[in-house]
This record gives sequence, C-alpha cells and structure tokens, in this order.
Amino acid sequence: MNRYLARRLLLFLPTLFGTLTLVFFLIHLVPGDPVEVMLGETASGTDKETLRHELGLDLPLWTQYTRFLSGLALGDLGRSLYEQDSVSRLVRARFPATLELTLTAMLLALLIAFPLGIIAALKRHSWTDRLSLLFSLLGLSMPNFWLGPLLIIVFSIELGWLPVSGRGTLAHLILPSATLGMAMAAILIRMIRSALLDVLHEDYIQTARAKGLSEQKVWLKHALRNSLLSVVTIIGLQFGTLLAGSIITETIFTWPGLGRLTIQAIQTRDYPLVQGCILVIATSYLLVNLMTDIVYRLVDPRITYGK
Amino acid sequence: MLKFRPRSFLIFCWLGIALPGCLSSSQPDRPPGYLVVGLESNPTHLDPRYATDANSIRIGALLFNSLTRTDQNGNLQPDLAERWETIDDRTYIFHLRKGVTFHNGKPLTAADVAYTYRSILDPKNRSPKRATLQFLESVDPVGPDRVRFRLAEPYAPFLESTNLGIVPDGSRTNDGSSRQSLIGTGPFALEEFLPGERIMLKANANYWGGSPAVSGLIFKIIPDAMVRVLEFKKRNVDFLQNDIEPDMLPWLRDKARASIQIAQGTTFQYIGMNLEHPILKHREVREALAYGIDREAIIRHLLKGLAIPATGMLSPIHWAYESSVPKFSHDPERAKRLLDQAGFHDPDGEGPLPRFKLSYKTTNLDLRRRMAEALKQQLSEVGIELEVHTFEWGTFYADIKRGNFDLYSLSWVGITDPDIYFALFHSRNIPPNGDNRGHYRNPEVDQLLEQGRRSLGVDERRVIYSEVQKILARDLPYIPLWWAKNVVLTRQGIRGFIPYPDGDLISLKNVSLSFSNPEA
Repeated sequence: MNRYLARRLLLFLPTLFGTLTLVFFLIHLVPGDPVEVMLGETASGTDKETLRHELGLDLPLWTQYTRFLSGLALGDLGRSLYEQDSVSRLVRARFPATLELTLTAMLLALLIAFPLGIIAALKRHSWTDRLSLLFSLLGLSMPNFWLGPLLIIVFSIELGWLPVSGRGTLAHLILPSATLGMAMAAILIRMIRSALLDVLHEDYIQTARAKGLSEQKVWLKHALRNSLLSVVTIIGLQFGTLLAGSIITETIFTWPGLGRLTIQAIQTRDYPLVQGCILVIATSYLLVNLMTDIVYRLVDPRITYGK
Repeated sequence: MLKFRPRSFLIFCWLGIALPGCLSSSQPDRPPGYLVVGLESNPTHLDPRYATDANSIRIGALLFNSLTRTDQNGNLQPDLAERWETIDDRTYIFHLRKGVTFHNGKPLTAADVAYTYRSILDPKNRSPKRATLQFLESVDPVGPDRVRFRLAEPYAPFLESTNLGIVPDGSRTNDGSSRQSLIGTGPFALEEFLPGERIMLKANANYWGGSPAVSGLIFKIIPDAMVRVLEFKKRNVDFLQNDIEPDMLPWLRDKARASIQIAQGTTFQYIGMNLEHPILKHREVREALAYGIDREAIIRHLLKGLAIPATGMLSPIHWAYESSVPKFSHDPERAKRLLDQAGFHDPDGEGPLPRFKLSYKTTNLDLRRRMAEALKQQLSEVGIELEVHTFEWGTFYADIKRGNFDLYSLSWVGITDPDIYFALFHSRNIPPNGDNRGHYRNPEVDQLLEQGRRSLGVDERRVIYSEVQKILARDLPYIPLWWAKNVVLTRQGIRGFIPYPDGDLISLKNVSLSFSNPEA
C-alpha cells in the first residue's frame, strides 16, 4: 500500500505538470492583452512596451514558461497582473469558500442519495422507487443556473427561511450547496440502487440470509458495503464536476470563491492568477482521486495494489 | 484493520473546513442607518490613480474629492478647488478650499495635489491614467493652498482632467494590501473592502461639505441579474442603478413596491464598421445599414423604452451637441435603393439569396445576443445577411482592438469632453497608434479635431465640434443606435437621490432613509 501510494504521488506530479503546461500555453494563445488591461487602452505604445518588458511578457513563450516553472519550484506563484497582489494570497483568500461549498454539496448529495438509493433498491418498482427515479431525473435535468434562482424564490422569497445570497452563516450554505449537489445526488441514487441490486444475487448474500441475519443487516452490512466500490468511483469523478459547477453556483449565490476569481482572471488575461487558480483546482481534483483509491482499499480489503 | 466509515470521514472533513469558515466570517447585520447598494461587478481599484472601471470610479468619487467635479447637467463645478485662474494658454493656478481635512485628520495642502498628479505621471507607478495626462509638463505647489499646472501645449480638455481624486502626499502606490488603507477627503471613508463580496463606507462626520444623511453605505456585489432583483425584493438591497434587466421592471414596480426613477443618460450605443472592408468602404452601404435598422423597434421591445434613438456620440444634454445632422429612421426601401446604387443588387429579388454577407461580432451577454438577432432579422429584409459571432469579452475586445471585424457593436460610457472624437476619428489614431479602429480618414475632420483641442473658448469649440458632428453623420464611420436612459430603483422611504447622466453616485451623500429596520 505504501509503495503504491508513493507511486501514485510520483504520478501526481507529472499529471499536475501536464495540466499546468497545457493551461499555460492555452491562456497565452487566447487573444487578449493583459498590459492593455493594466495601462488602459489609451496608453502609449512606449509605455505598453516598457511594461511588457518589465513583466517579461515580451520574452519568447518558452522562456516565460521556464520562468514560470522555476518560480513554481520555489513556491512562488507570482503576482497578479490586474489585482497587483500575490497570487498565493488571492487564492488562499478564496479557496476555503470553494472547498466549503463543494464539500457541503458532496455531503448533502450523499445524505440524500444513500437513503433514497437504498430505499429504491429495497422497494423495487414501488412508488418510493418511482419517486426516487423522478428525483434523479429532475436533479439531472435541472441546470444550476435555473435551479439556483428557483430555490431562492421558494425558500428565500416566498417562505423567507433562508438568505438569498452571500456567505457567512450556516444558513447561507444551504441553498448553494443544494444547487451544486443536486446533480451529484441524482447520479448517486441511480448508482447506489443498481449496485445494490447487482450484489443482491451474489452467493454471499444468500449465505447471510441462510445464517439467519435480519434483512436489515443483510442489506446494510453485506450488500451495501460491497456495492460501495462503484459508488466511491463516481464520488471521486463527480468531485471534478462539483468544482466546475461551483463557478456558476458561486456567481448565482454571490459566493466569494475560487470559481469567480478564475473567471475574472481569464477575462482580464491575468496569466499568473489563472495559473494559480488552475494549480489549486487541479491539485484538489488529483488529491480527491488519490483519496478515492485509498478508500477502495479501506472499503474492500481484498484489493491490493501490488507489492 | 482500520474500520472505515465513509460518511463519518466526509462529515469530519466538512466540519474541519466548513464550520470554521461559517463561524469565523459571520455576515454582519446591516448597521443602523446604512444604505445597501447592489452592484453587478466588483470595483477593482478604488484608488483614483488606478480606477478605470465604472464602479471603481463611482465609489471612488464618494471617498475622494477632486479639484473640479461635473454636476448633473454636465457642467464643471469647483470641488476641492475654490476657483482657478488661467494665467496663459498653458498655465493654470488652482486655489484650494480651506479647512478641508483627509479622513485621517491631516489638512489638505497643495503638496497633496501635486503628489497625486506626479505619482500618476511617474512611469514606475504604472498608472493606467498616465497616458491621459501626457499633456502636463509640471504640477507644482505655489504655497500651501495654490497649485500651478503647466501644460506642454495649449490643450482645451485639460480642465476635464482635474476631476481626478486627490490622495494624501506619500500615499502608497498600487498594491493589493494598500486597498484597506485608502484615505481621501470625500463624504465617506472606507470601512471595509472585501473583494468580490462587499465594500463598506462610513459617513465622514467632518466632511467639509456637511456630513451625509446616512450613517454609511454598503456596496454588495451580486453578479447575477435575477439574484440582484430578488435581494431587492427581500429588502437586503435598497438601491440599484442600471444593473437591472429591462424585462424585470414591471415586476419590480408591482411586486417589490420599488420606486423607479428613469432619467436620460449619456451612454452611447453604436455599430462600428471596418471602413477598409471592400463592401463597407462604400458610403451608400453604410447608409443602407443605417436605414435598414429599426432602432425604435429594438428600443421598444428589447430595451423596454429605456433608450432614445441616437444621432451621434454626444447626447442632447451635452454642451456641444449638434441636432442638425442627417438622421436615419427605419426605411428599408431607401436602404435597398442605396444598395442598388452601390452596385450590390439582390441576386434573386424577393428570394432567399442575400446581396452580400457581413460578419457581426458581439459579446455573449444575453441582451447583446438578442440585439444581434434583431439586427440580423431587420437587415435580412434589405438583403444583407449578418453572420453573428458571439465571444467572451476578452476575446471580443482583442479582435476589435486589432481591427479584426466587419461590424461590431459597443457603447461609450461617460463621454465628457468632445475631444473624444480626436481619439476615435483622427487618422493619426488608426491602430496600433490609437482607437480609430474602423480606419476612418478625413483630412478635414483631422484639421477640425486638432483645432478643437487647441481652442480654449467654449463658443469657438462648439462651432468646431458642430461641424465635426455633421461630417461624421454624413460619412458614417459609426452607425449611431441609441443613448441609454439611467434607471434607478430605490426602496420606498429613500429620498434625495439625483440621477446623474453619466451614472455618478455622488448624490448618495444627500440621500436620507425614513425606514429604520431593514427587514421591516
């Protein structure tokens, strides 16, 4: 396991490196000039050239890239061109909000998906099964930009239970995380249901029943645990979708997270800030996927990762 | 073997990360007497030496005073300068108001004014405003309350550039950490700046012009148009200006019991054209485009009446506005005749084939996309096919700056001095040297524009710019679309706000609230 982890961590670095390389060249290829954003469009050509030189933006792209990498190796993400502040500080200020939102959305999705998925499998073809199917369909077909305002209208405006937007209290967290987690919950309900139904025909379930275990124990202890493997895979993969979806959700709910900062950085062609944001997003995604692999081992001790 | 419980693990993670965040950054309640203003986008730099976006300039004007300020009729008024003298056509002396102090209690002196301008002119400080002050040769204090401005050459728009906020001598230049310590002489002082969330200002009780009626202002950043309106309905926002979808106004009036003020603004929407394009270089084609567009219909249906058709860049409230210019009302038959005259005949009469195709670039904003669809439909009736391309702002603007377009639409916000024509239509300013993006060339206009910036008398300038407006309306380097109206939405119980044509928020200092409980 330890050797496996070490190997995965070693693979982690080239993946991150590849992502950053791709983003570096893509953002530089997109039309747009950060110097014009900084100095204004009326700035003289000489001033623009001087600043471009000071920032190293007149250097060949390859040289800029190696400079970026050497800065990164020293832990220096550079300074934001537009915000005139350290990229690390800007990202550090925004990342907790995004993490808070995505983790809560994930937790909410799990809290909805597990009971509904289990009940749907337990009571196959019943009205509760159909209800959970309907919930899944709705969750998957409602885009965030529509679901968010809908939830605000119902729970904030009509019922007056929750705040409309902003970040601060636990109440502020409910609607954005519900919006973000809905699609994940919808997918997980169907996954849990079908995974449970698959394992139900396995011999060990029959054995458990033959041992005289209660139906509840059979389901929760034997069937559910064995069906978790595929569910854990989906959770890992869905984390990326949550991070991407948080950009829209953060905009709707005025959530001061990394998604909005990334969009602003792209719009102003703030190259160092885009790189910093992508670095954090990519690292989070890779870490979650690494954790997924570790969880496999914990969920199913039969899984080994080689010697 | 470690017993793993996925749910417990996730709950642990969440408690570790989310809970401290929730507990530490508790959303402050609105302090009593504070007015909450909803904003669509985050002001990036409130420091007047760096502020370029509209929200930064508008909020900055509440924190900083300038030597002069434009009033609601577009006329220049004394602000920190009590008066000014024109010594000769290159030298001006400004006499500062006495008894003015900065938010930190330090008295305002001529050294502060000189420092502000000098720090912009210093290339090391990378101010985006440096280029606009290139005409300045020197700025020197003459005693404690007089400042002398020396110009490199006579330059009529100089006085307009004195509406720049004054910072104390020695203020730090632009960096992220200086944001929280901005000090001005304005009616409000900065209390808190949380980028992307809110900006809190508290009333300056020692303001030389009298303390504001409200205790403070909170600018809440709400990027989504519908959420802004819902926050208003929920009474978490008291004031919105322009950041409102026209479709939502009837609902706001009926359901949210909003007071709505609509006043004419100066924002000018136009269609820009590439005059080096083989088709668009023909003036008849540009005229045909102008006659083929039904502005009235777009204003009525898409903008819900929140604009008036434009005849040129300067709106009727501008001192140099010229009304006797060619006007282009919707006349499809005339457009077809003009296209025939230019040699672009319809290949199949009333059939589906167009006379020619043109590409039209716009941003991916919803209203801009719908506007493009309307234009496409209207111009198809005269046989012109528009290929609409929508882009994210950065890409769109880069293309426009490079001259990579046939047609595009944009707006000019906050037009003050008519010298803007020099930047946009003088042949010297054809890219990469300037903003004459359509490559317009007319020696007569060049000469008038040079004369316009050198002439110091208002009457003389009015005659010059009248002629410029007439020529441009004939040559049509831009197709004027409309001048937008300003829409101000306030909760009932808010009084005293005067909308400014350029969207200035300075009148918030005069606003009074007659509600005490924000949730009432």
